[in-house]
Amino acid sequence: MTVDPDQAGVLARAAAGGDPASWKALVERFSGLVWSVARGYRLSPADAADVFQTTWLRLTENLGRIENPERVGAWLATTARRESLRTVRASARVIPTDDDSVLDLGQVDDRSPEQSVLDSEQAALDVAAARRLWGAFRELSARCQELLRILMATPPPNYLEVASALDMPVGSIGPTRARCLQRLRGKLTDEVSGAVLRPHAHKRA
Amino acid sequence: MRDEPDDTELEEELRLAAARFDPVPPGLILAAVDAFTWRTIDAELAELVFDSLIDHDDLAVVRGSPQDRMLSFQASGLTIEVEITGTGASRRLIGQLVPPQPASVAVQAPGGGPSGVRALADELGRFSADSLPAGPVSLHCRLGAETAGHSVVTDWISM
Repeated sequence: MTVDPDQAGVLARAAAGGDPASWKALVERFSGLVWSVARGYRLSPADAADVFQTTWLRLTENLGRIENPERVGAWLATTARRESLRTVRASARVIPTDDDSVLDLGQVDDRSPEQSVLDSEQAALDVAAARRLWGAFRELSARCQELLRILMATPPPNYLEVASALDMPVGSIGPTRARCLQRLRGKLTDEVSGAVLRPHAHKRA
Repeated sequence: MRDEPDDTELEEELRLAAARFDPVPPGLILAAVDAFTWRTIDAELAELVFDSLIDHDDLAVVRGSPQDRMLSFQASGLTIEVEITGTGASRRLIGQLVPPQPASVAVQAPGGGPSGVRALADELGRFSADSLPAGPVSLHCRLGAETAGHSVVTDWISM
């Protein structure tokens, strides 16, 4: 599912010409990227929703003005980054609150025992592994979380879009990605060693 | 160096975890699809060229208090300077059209319907509005006296 720049350009041009189906396809194609940028900057779901909405509204009025319609994904990533920064700076004046994703995770935890009864054993294992991975990701540095969260977008963004989302050179994405993934592996390894010391952490019926 | 396939695999696992734990809210996608029908076709766009919250500019610090947000929108032959003061219910918008001219200004919220907040710019191009809606807004300016002039809309901003 790599980015097809021609396709993005075709969609952006057709949408600029007034085709609602192409617009819908654009939204579906790049929603994951825009959301990931806002969440990468660790905005709350409410603030991320605000950034998401403003970014897409901004595009509706600027469709015909984008210099490179092929790069509409990068345009969206840049706009989402700037709106995210705006939100971060505006809320810096207010009392900072912890990101609530950790709380969201707790809810997933509460629900999962019932689900795992329904799911196959393998699926339950997959959920547990995904949760462990997500928890380890949340412990990474802000910079690593920003980069990796954007790389996690579905479908995967290209490096130009990632660079636009972070305002960093395309050339430094690869090395930073490798370093952050390495740190993530380190966290996962630490946690596994911890789990051995606490065998009851993994319940066996 | 770790090998590339491992990194690709780990990134793919992260993607699946993100899709599970932090997906795009479906309602947001629907709203973004709908946004296409609200776009203005018959008005000129005034592009956001300065936002004191994003663009560092010493002048903004001089001009207003740190609590205030200064915005500047640029269309051909028209600049719309906007200052937003206060927070929450006491939020207030003060605007200036350059060059100065009368206009009718509507604060537009997403969804096509007017937010109900309107203002009249006087002969000196000054206008102000209170009771601003939360979330993204765009200013729709009809220039000139009454229905005479052409329309200019600003880029969407969020407050």
